[in-house]
Amino acid sequence: MAIYRSIKSRKSKRKISNIFELQLTSMLDVLVIIVVFLLKSYATSTNSFTSVPGLKLPLSATRDTPPDSLQVIVTPESITFENERIMDFILTAGSLDSNDAIYKFKPTDLDEGGRRVIPLYDALLKARDKSEFLRAKSKARDAEGKPLPFEGILAIQADKRVSYDTIRRIMYTAATAGYKIFRFLAMQQEL
Amino acid sequence: MLIRPSARRKTAHGGIQLNLVPFIDAMVTMIGFMLFTISFIAIVSVESPFPIISQQDMMEKLKERPIQLTLTIKEKETEIWSPFEKIKSRTIPHMPSGLPDTTSIHSVLLEVKQQFPLEKKIVLVPTAQTNYDTLISLMDSMRLINTTDPPIYAKNPATGLDEVIKDLFPEVVFGNLLGDS
Repeated sequence: MAIYRSIKSRKSKRKISNIFELQLTSMLDVLVIIVVFLLKSYATSTNSFTSVPGLKLPLSATRDTPPDSLQVIVTPESITFENERIMDFILTAGSLDSNDAIYKFKPTDLDEGGRRVIPLYDALLKARDKSEFLRAKSKARDAEGKPLPFEGILAIQADKRVSYDTIRRIMYTAATAGYKIFRFLAMQQEL
Repeated sequence: MLIRPSARRKTAHGGIQLNLVPFIDAMVTMIGFMLFTISFIAIVSVESPFPIISQQDMMEKLKERPIQLTLTIKEKETEIWSPFEKIKSRTIPHMPSGLPDTTSIHSVLLEVKQQFPLEKKIVLVPTAQTNYDTLISLMDSMRLINTTDPPIYAKNPATGLDEVIKDLFPEVVFGNLLGDS
């Protein structure tokens, strides 16, 4: 036997409630999880080291996070010191986007038998003078009441294709400018 | 006469409903701020001092005849040796890709560390063509002890107790900074 619904009841079924309430509790749960994840990741990004476009850092299994210091960035195209591009290399054909970067120093940028990089030396010396001036002005003193000595730490952020010959020149230049400790930066390898 | 209804009937029965909209606003703002400022790349560092030659230190060292463990990268092989012949010189051929075999180098260095557990320094002599990527992987294999490596113990001079060594040769110094090779 067929059941026939009255016209009145059909109308009542089609009615949609005017009050539509979005379930915000579940959305809030999701947002809290995202915030917690981001806060946890935040701890790994405490340093203020900057990078340059196209820089490919190598991976390292070490867990030592570098404290803030002066930094030099070396790519197969240029050398950047403290966010200022201080010199360009001579690029050769195929030097970009290749695994073996082919680049050369300009002869005018080198002295001391090709070991010292002049623009980098000038920039490092300037930064050292500035640091020593600030330390002299600072109230922080050592046991003898003298200004704190210049630490001479330089962070080197080099592209994975950069050769040791270039890094050696940078280290030599930095050493002649009074920088004695080098920190080689890399990307943390996931274990 | 009408009886006044009880005041209890006027109270809501559904409980207090918390207004979640301001919370969501705050969360979205925080997420936006964090996504803009966060860096998902963790930067790590490997430290190396510039070698300083002191005449006095050199004379004292020559009296003691230190191990002065040295790792020299050559064109086709890597040599692990000591200028004072404290260890037997070992040669490790490069991998077919032409890169130093860091796994074998690490194994040899572990053996050396077991012989000289208190030694911390190692001299690295790469070729001029060695790239930064290879340098970092070499320094990792020279400095770090993996969790899968056998434990190495050394007597702590302060406490007199045997302790597990956490680092292999943590003080890496470049040996040919003034050279041309």
